[in-house]
Amino acid sequence: MDVVVLVKLALDTGQLRVSEGKVDVESTPLKVSDIDRNAVEEAVRVRERVGGLVHVVSILKYGPVQRRLQEAEGLLREVLAMGADDAYLVADEALIGSDQLATAKVIASVIRRLGKYDLVIAGEATVDGYTGQVGPRVAAELGIPVVTYVRELRVEGSRVVAKRDLEDAVQTVEAPLPALVTVTREINTPRIPTLLQIRAAMRKPISKLTLADLGLTLKPTIKVESVMPMQVKRRGVVIREGTVDEKADRLVQALIQEGLLTPR
Amino acid sequence: MGVLVVGSIGDIGLVGLAQRFRGQDVHYLLTGQDDAAQLGRYGVSRVYQLTTGIDEYSFSETLTDLVNRGSYSIIITPVNRFYRTAAPMAAQRLSIPLLTDVIDVKPIDDELEVVLNSIGNRAQVTVKVTGRVLLMAPPARFKPSENPVNASIEPLQPKVVNVVKVVSTEGKAKGGARIEDAELIVAVGRGFRRREDLKLAFELAEVLGAEVGCSRPIAADLKWLSEDHWIGLSGRRVRPRLYIAIGISGQPQHLAGMMESRTVVVINNDPNAPFFRNCDYGVVEDLYSFIPALTKRLRDILKR
Repeated sequence: MDVVVLVKLALDTGQLRVSEGKVDVESTPLKVSDIDRNAVEEAVRVRERVGGLVHVVSILKYGPVQRRLQEAEGLLREVLAMGADDAYLVADEALIGSDQLATAKVIASVIRRLGKYDLVIAGEATVDGYTGQVGPRVAAELGIPVVTYVRELRVEGSRVVAKRDLEDAVQTVEAPLPALVTVTREINTPRIPTLLQIRAAMRKPISKLTLADLGLTLKPTIKVESVMPMQVKRRGVVIREGTVDEKADRLVQALIQEGLLTPR
Repeated sequence: MGVLVVGSIGDIGLVGLAQRFRGQDVHYLLTGQDDAAQLGRYGVSRVYQLTTGIDEYSFSETLTDLVNRGSYSIIITPVNRFYRTAAPMAAQRLSIPLLTDVIDVKPIDDELEVVLNSIGNRAQVTVKVTGRVLLMAPPARFKPSENPVNASIEPLQPKVVNVVKVVSTEGKAKGGARIEDAELIVAVGRGFRRREDLKLAFELAEVLGAEVGCSRPIAADLKWLSEDHWIGLSGRRVRPRLYIAIGISGQPQHLAGMMESRTVVVINNDPNAPFFRNCDYGVVEDLYSFIPALTKRLRDILKR
């Protein structure tokens, strides 16, 4: 079975760089989007059960492209070390700041190029954009069914059986293969690769592609005007000294002054 | 031309967002069996009513056809897991962009400026769009103004695609929490060593009249509280007047769920907890001795 796993090289939101009141996207480091590690883990588990190959597909969305290439390759080695067999990285200036319509078209084009695929696995959403669009969009582009928010997955012959986590219910569904599945963080615990696996990952192939290689040209539909850090100015008053009761008293006084508590 | 709002009667707030497109007809794809005529009160001139529940795949096909038939340029849906699945599929078929967590729109000539929360809810992003677009927004953020018209009502026939088969549906355990609407929240994290110890937080919440929320591990891993308490990027997003975080370290995914809280209090025995960098008031103290002391102090002054 050929399993494709979609991996986003996401902005590390814990390390957002800000300069002159704007988020400095170009100098914020990237990381493998957390939920995509669960996607990789699930893909590797499927292969371990039924055999086959796990292909990683990734699109570089943040520039500058030349400087990010090495960073991207390093991150892809992390998921190759988890057990994926090979990786495809599409890096092209035209994809920087492009929207999910374009991302999905490019991903679908890479998947079609593989020739054969049975199952595509993605995270429910990425930790930076958190729109969760790309999975369903890729499915629509490929014309295959999508099963989102999966927390339990079984491959049975030529179909998948999945438990979906909805807001107020758990739904069990079946879909024929090929299908696209998006997973939640509850589905598994991603493995930590051993040193041996990390070393082995250095020899696994990463194919770098451009839009020209895929024969694609894209028309931008949106233009990002500005990225402002959420304007929350916190007071940052930290009470460290005093007895427990003194600390409780100082906090209560502060909350009264904020008008959040009214003594009776 | 025109704006198509999609959702149940409970999502009527989205009409408030649609009204910001001045001079445009507002139509509504109403799901469910509620009285469609009431939408006319807010200037909705046409309602397509879909009374049968269908899966996301079928819904995306039905929506795509309706958008093409009515040539809508703006489509607005709520933000939940159903629409997060159906809307992007429709958007891809229509070859249009989709913007989520929209908080404002400004039509400027032929262009549309859209402000949205993004980057893990840590930033406000402004984008410009030309042409058709699908917007997803939280309905509770907007309030439609009255502008009574007679709404014409048309039943909508779904286009059912039997690809994904639903085998069974089980309701989830609920703690009865309505955390999204809470004005005061006491949130608990891994600083609590045992499930029984959460009663310290529940007692504090009771004195304050607050709801109890939690970070991911408490709901998702330990299952000490039901998932309707979970606050974060993949849990619920909250905007209370007061947020008291107890024993929560402050990972970005948790912060994303509570960024819009007005006053944030952090209680943690680790002075290096990242949450202290995002608080209004912090207390470095062991929660096991501090919370009872705080609860007692509050009982005294609030006479509860």
